[in-house]
Amino acid sequence: MTAVVEARGLTKHYGATRALEDVSFSVEAGRIVGLIGPNGAGKTTALKAILGLTTFTGELRVLGLDPCRERDALMREVCFIADVAVLPRWLRVSQALDFVEGVHPRFDRTVAENFLTKTDIHMASRVRELSKGMVTQLHLALVLAIDARLLVLDEPTLGLDLLYRRSFYDTLLNDYFDKQRTILLTTHQVEEVENLFTDVIFINHGRVALNAAVEDLPARYQQLNLAAEQAERARALQPFYEREVFGRVSMYFEGRTAEELGRYGELRTPSIADLFVAKMQGNARP
Amino acid sequence: MSSTLADTAGEGPRSDTTPTAAKGLIETLVTLVRRELWEHRALWLAPLIVAGLLALCAAIGRVHMQVEDSAVIHGEAQRVAVFTIIQAVLAIPLYLVAMLVAGFYLLDCLYAERKDRSILFWKSLPVSDALTVSAKMLVALVVVPLGVFALALVAHLLFTAILGARVLFGTLPPIFSWSTYEWARTETVMLLVTVLAVLWYAPLAAYLLLMSVWVRRGPMLWATLPLVLGPVLEWVAFGTRHLMDFINYRINGIWWLLGVQHTQLITKHEVRAVGTALGVLDFRGVLTSIDLWLGLAVAAALVYVTIRMRRYRDDS
Repeated sequence: MTAVVEARGLTKHYGATRALEDVSFSVEAGRIVGLIGPNGAGKTTALKAILGLTTFTGELRVLGLDPCRERDALMREVCFIADVAVLPRWLRVSQALDFVEGVHPRFDRTVAENFLTKTDIHMASRVRELSKGMVTQLHLALVLAIDARLLVLDEPTLGLDLLYRRSFYDTLLNDYFDKQRTILLTTHQVEEVENLFTDVIFINHGRVALNAAVEDLPARYQQLNLAAEQAERARALQPFYEREVFGRVSMYFEGRTAEELGRYGELRTPSIADLFVAKMQGNARP
Repeated sequence: MSSTLADTAGEGPRSDTTPTAAKGLIETLVTLVRRELWEHRALWLAPLIVAGLLALCAAIGRVHMQVEDSAVIHGEAQRVAVFTIIQAVLAIPLYLVAMLVAGFYLLDCLYAERKDRSILFWKSLPVSDALTVSAKMLVALVVVPLGVFALALVAHLLFTAILGARVLFGTLPPIFSWSTYEWARTETVMLLVTVLAVLWYAPLAAYLLLMSVWVRRGPMLWATLPLVLGPVLEWVAFGTRHLMDFINYRINGIWWLLGVQHTQLITKHEVRAVGTALGVLDFRGVLTSIDLWLGLAVAAALVYVTIRMRRYRDDS
């Protein structure tokens, strides 16, 4: 199966700032990929390149197309929510449906209408009258109704309360995702959505810090929780990051086995959020 | 994050019959034009309000007429001429307000979508930059002018009906007579002038659109600044006023080329029907003027630059 996104040596400089530096990764069809990184790490630049919204050097194919030169064709197959509240404030809900129906060949209005009837959003309301959560619901309704092969979400739930966030991702998973579709998602709230991802890509300082399928993580990364007095001996196995909380030490290892680590303490697979912190902090240390 | 059977069953299967081909160009363009009229309601609201005010004037306005003037208006031909002049004069405020709102619209449209950050939403849909920009030119140069032409036509009929009723009830002297032939001739003059004016002002419209996509803030200021500062600088530096003359020509030149100054519709001795301008105005001269076509070429170039600039414009 050909990759949905294939990036090789993706590079983008804004003046002296290196937003992306020789970034390579690929995204297979039917995956939910988390693009995770601290602020200013280059996530949004990478997404913009994928969506043909910015120039870059290097090779990039999205659904087999060049996002810069073939953007118009690409947008029939790709959907994106760039941020919350980018829907124009003057737009009425019914007009939003009319517009997308009028320009998008793959939009199924009944899907959007069915979804909206389950919310408190009225057809005659303008976007400016809706709460932030409702605007996102409206945008989600539009996206759900578009039969796209790739959905790109850049911080789609930023600034929403927990109930809206939870229902957003539930809807995405239950009503939208299937094995033909691919979702590329950036978020700061990693803890909340880490069960969603099939793959994670960590980006830091414009470079890929980690790129792995979630199912491969247990074999690659280990978290060892041990008493402080055991720590010195375990350090011989070269953890790439460690932290101490209430006298207990958590160490993070790459490529160690249970036999090597098990005798020092309690062994577990790190959560994606913990792994992210470990990777970012660990790599930052000299 | 759990997936229940009820959830998935509730939505039903997605239809696989969604057409994959692009939407028809006409349907897309119509949608894009409708969207402009939703966002920029002044485009149709302002001319409508002016038309309403004019109708109000017709209903309650008083007609002050000097005796010499009314003495001139004797005979059917003169009353028909007055009728056509009302027809043309009525259209002028509508056209002026339409030009004003269209100008503000062009300056605002590509700036507003960046200011309210909705540009990323528009760009998430399969509409090319070329089509988006073209639709905005279409609104300013075709939809608004033809719309105001139609509005002027309807407003005049309404105006005539109101004035006619007043004449019938004797509250107004019988100063005009209906003539379908002269009515059609007047409409023809207005349509021809409208079409030529659109062609003449196309580069100005494209200039405003380019400013709208270009500037980071204050499109109004940036669009007018070079037009004011340029001539001033030229005068200070060289003591000449070529730029001033050029700007003046691009704004008023069409009326000189048409020879509007030769159409003396109201003289001391008679009133001429607007339709007589068909024989006086130099429509062919405007159409064959190299300046008109150079202007259109410049307009096309500016629109092309606008499309290129919108390509990598976003909210940041």
